[in-house]
Amino acid sequence: MKYILIIGCGKSGKGLALDLSRSENVVVVDKSLRSLDTLGDDFNGKKIWADAMDTTTLEKAGVKEADIVFLLTGNDNLNLVVSKVVRRKYGVRQVILQVNDSTKEKIFQEEGLEIINRTSLMVEVLRGFIS
Amino acid sequence: MYIVIAGAGRLGLVLAKKLNEDNHRICLIDKNESLCNKLAGELKGVMIIAGDATYPEILREAKLEKADVCVSAAATDEDNIIICHLAKELFGIKRTVARVNDPKHIPLYKYMEVDNPVDSTSIIARIVEEEASFTDVMSLLSIKKGRLSIVRVDIPEESPVANKSLKDIKLPPNSVLVSIIRGPDIIIPYGSTEILPGDEIIAATLIDVEKDLIKALIGKI
Repeated sequence: MKYILIIGCGKSGKGLALDLSRSENVVVVDKSLRSLDTLGDDFNGKKIWADAMDTTTLEKAGVKEADIVFLLTGNDNLNLVVSKVVRRKYGVRQVILQVNDSTKEKIFQEEGLEIINRTSLMVEVLRGFIS
Repeated sequence: MYIVIAGAGRLGLVLAKKLNEDNHRICLIDKNESLCNKLAGELKGVMIIAGDATYPEILREAKLEKADVCVSAAATDEDNIIICHLAKELFGIKRTVARVNDPKHIPLYKYMEVDNPVDSTSIIARIVEEEASFTDVMSLLSIKKGRLSIVRVDIPEESPVANKSLKDIKLPPNSVLVSIIRGPDIIIPYGSTEILPGDEIIAATLIDVEKDLIKALIGKI
């Protein structure tokens, strides 16, 4: 079982958390209690209602033991800042973050960070229909 | 100097005005377009850019590469950190200063190598604490990661040094009295200066003898 930390419980975060919590050890962090509540009773993991920019939150969420960290808040800048710290300070091997702006995506690219851009993903999928 | 300020909130604005008066060249960036239009009319000689300073093209428009200092005073800490990070990495800025909104985020500022994260909340808390004077002793400033400390000590009636001249007082080594505040007067003390009850003493001391100094001045800790 992998230890998975998900920061941001919006649509993607919630969907991923519900899916993964069936087979993996999942911790979800969000600063909104209402968002965490949307996980409902089917969620089989830990919820932490706190600010991810506070390193004590990350440590409480077990960042040091995490195999994978997903940063899925709607805030590109927050995802970028926290991803760097998670990667470099806590040495998490796999860090996946959502960045919706493509210029930032290019600048902040570095080894060990997997940047997901919603628009490019959509474009790729839509392109697949043309053959 | 050429200074780029990101964020035209209260702090950014006051800073821009002040530095402009001191004849520095200023560029002020803010996301709020109508605010920028208003400021463009009010702030003569300040370059105003409407845009999100966490985007490199906006910083390029501000000619950040020519700046001596980049000050980030945005409303969120993630924006401040990104702005300072871009300033360093893409524009080679040596000095980045940022206003910390939430002191809990300071480790992130340090980790992302912002040169001077200014924690206004803690600074104000310290001033309020000093004004409220909860104690006879107040730490004013610590230098070199806390090794040198500047303290303020109120001299009580029963102080062992009250009504004595400086030359008759034995202070611990590595500590020195810098000045005496007596009512409206600031006195720079020398050997024959007498310390009176009610004086406020400003002293500099190495941190390991701070307690000894306080004991010597007020008789207890």
